[in-house]
Amino acid sequence: MSRIDLDHIWKIYPRGDVVAVQDVSFVCKEREFLAILGPSGGGKSSTLRMLAGLEDISKGTISFDGKVVNELGPAERNVALAFESYALYQRLSVYENIAFPLKARGMKRSEVEKKVRYMAELMDLVPVLDTYPAELAGGHQQRVSLARAFIRKPNVTLLDEPISHMDQRVRAELRARIRRLHDDLGLTTIYVTHDQAEAISLCDRLVILNEAKLQQIGTVEEIWNSPVNRFVAYFVGEPAMNFVDGMVENDKRAIVATSAGKAVLPFTGTLEKQYISSKITIGFRPQQVTISRKKVDQGALVGSIKIIEFQGDTSILTIKLANEGGTEVKAVVEATQQYQPDESVWIQIKPDTIHLFDGDYPALQRNGSPKG
Amino acid sequence: MAEVRLENVSKYYGRKRAVQDLNITCGEGEFLSIVGPTGAGKSTTLKMIAGIESISSGTIYFNERPVNDLPPQERNVSMAFESYNLYPHMSVYDNIAFPLRAPRWRMHLTPQEESRRVREIAEFLGIDELLERLPQHLSGGQKQRVSLARALVKKPEVYLLDEPIAHLDARLKFSTQTLLKEFAVTYRSTIIYVTHDYREALGLSDRMVVLRKGRIEQMGAPEEVYNRPATDFVGKLIGEPPMNIIDGEMITKNRETLFTAGDLFTIRIRDDKVESMKRVARQENGRTVSRLGIRCEHIHISRKQISENSFRMPVYAIVHEAESSVVTFELRDILLYVRTRGEEGFRDYQIKDKVWLDFDQDNIFFYENTVDISKM
Repeated sequence: MSRIDLDHIWKIYPRGDVVAVQDVSFVCKEREFLAILGPSGGGKSSTLRMLAGLEDISKGTISFDGKVVNELGPAERNVALAFESYALYQRLSVYENIAFPLKARGMKRSEVEKKVRYMAELMDLVPVLDTYPAELAGGHQQRVSLARAFIRKPNVTLLDEPISHMDQRVRAELRARIRRLHDDLGLTTIYVTHDQAEAISLCDRLVILNEAKLQQIGTVEEIWNSPVNRFVAYFVGEPAMNFVDGMVENDKRAIVATSAGKAVLPFTGTLEKQYISSKITIGFRPQQVTISRKKVDQGALVGSIKIIEFQGDTSILTIKLANEGGTEVKAVVEATQQYQPDESVWIQIKPDTIHLFDGDYPALQRNGSPKG
Repeated sequence: MAEVRLENVSKYYGRKRAVQDLNITCGEGEFLSIVGPTGAGKSTTLKMIAGIESISSGTIYFNERPVNDLPPQERNVSMAFESYNLYPHMSVYDNIAFPLRAPRWRMHLTPQEESRRVREIAEFLGIDELLERLPQHLSGGQKQRVSLARALVKKPEVYLLDEPIAHLDARLKFSTQTLLKEFAVTYRSTIIYVTHDYREALGLSDRMVVLRKGRIEQMGAPEEVYNRPATDFVGKLIGEPPMNIIDGEMITKNRETLFTAGDLFTIRIRDDKVESMKRVARQENGRTVSRLGIRCEHIHISRKQISENSFRMPVYAIVHEAESSVVTFELRDILLYVRTRGEEGFRDYQIKDKVWLDFDQDNIFFYENTVDISKM
């Protein structure tokens, strides 16, 4: 359980001169659950492999509790790893699989037994301890793999998409069990994933990587409410943030020209004077709007419903706005509210949930919003 | 476009039963999904409709005309498979145009007309930049969209789509799903869609069929299947987190009917729900056992007691969603999921906190025990 420091880390592959990780710095605090999130090719896996000691660090330093580990091999770093594939020993029982890392270090048998039992209880594996991996369903196998990863007190636990390919019944359970294990054992965990829902579900803070560079680091709320650029705004959240072209009227409100006249959208926050009377991109999240059938005079955009996708307890509406070009936006509503295609609706957007972008960067500053 | 009807359709491979006595009607212009786990018989059913697999018994009708004896090319269906089956030596353009050139249908399109239709569907699916490329230069997701475009380019009697977006990454999958729905609504197409992903089935379909081991477990509108799962199997298959399924005992005391999950909790069952519990309850070692199902959004959570029927449990773990959290509790060997959305402090629960839970009895169900929940 260590604090992990990445200090200006680079990974350059000499062949083809590919920069996989470019000058990335961040801290994973002791006992923190950190998710590294980004699209494929963003630099996540290279970062994880450098942390694990599976890959050389081209430039910069990685330290565990202030001690530089660049030159240490994977075993000396005392890092636990679990990957998407379970990589269990097929000829060993579940018990022996979990016990393996302890026996390899020559721990006493009674001690090993105590630890394996404890872990098996946490992961609900007691009834299957004497079976072999091949007899188990995928979800069970992944639990064994995680139990094995967590059993020795590692300095840091590195998880590489261990549950994203599992089916929905198992996914919900594994997420809960991983988070519980992390909290119970007081682990420091770094979790790599391309799936924003996965990252949001588990982590205390998110590190977002794209095109080899660090984009933003923060809690889910910080990233949700104050993305530092349009990539982050769009990448986190499903359905993704909506973007509509508009104009800044003054430092309190923006407008969107529609066939029903101009829609006025008041916003909170501080906007520099240079933006007044200029074109701007207005961003708002589908999850943060209210839909109304009655005309709303201010703070709303009018449009007609094009597509309705039922999701269970919510539905996603695709709404064609009555602006020039008929921009399509999405809204998440409770499934108990019934809508019909072609219905006219007003999308109400609260002033404190409006984002303004000048090109790729936010134009609006709010209290507590971090600088890019 | 046709109405497609399956009447007592069965398929056997030797003595092994793949599907049994299916009776399904997909109306003209209807979007029907077939959903189920691996091995449920989804693809087999679709292949019988396409004519790629023979029918062991029963009849398939297109507009009341039996098609059992028609080979695939005579049925005028369009298919897209999970495996893309693109012609490797043909450009993306030629792959998509291929169905338009089939001599059987004598479409005799002019090159301009062919090009217009190919470009229209390619643009719709966001692959118009790829038309000149060969399949070998495409990513898996791009190949899958080409395969889908090829299926959608002509107007057949029915579209048969087998996991057509399974290999797209999450973001692209959701946006392509919306496009497919737009396509279905715009052209009022008859579409039969096979998927193992319940989200696609809920989002796309007018009606869905849940298959289990070759038999229909439930058939109905997505709202019906989600809100009123017919069996414990459907409850577990549809929804994330899946429906909570809790085994317990039915007790009658002072003219009140109780459901008790041992020392974990005991709740009084509302009068109008007692009948449905009795219907599925059975005797086991002198006890009357019953299985309760409730979705995570229908359990209320609070730091204060909610009603005289609420009970206290320690939090096992908390996982988050963008605008909600799922608080979990350990019930012996299973986890209980409770979704908490939007209300003040919904992010503030901590593990081991003892909190109050209350079941919304409008949304509880009782089921026969048909699945081993610890293995599902």
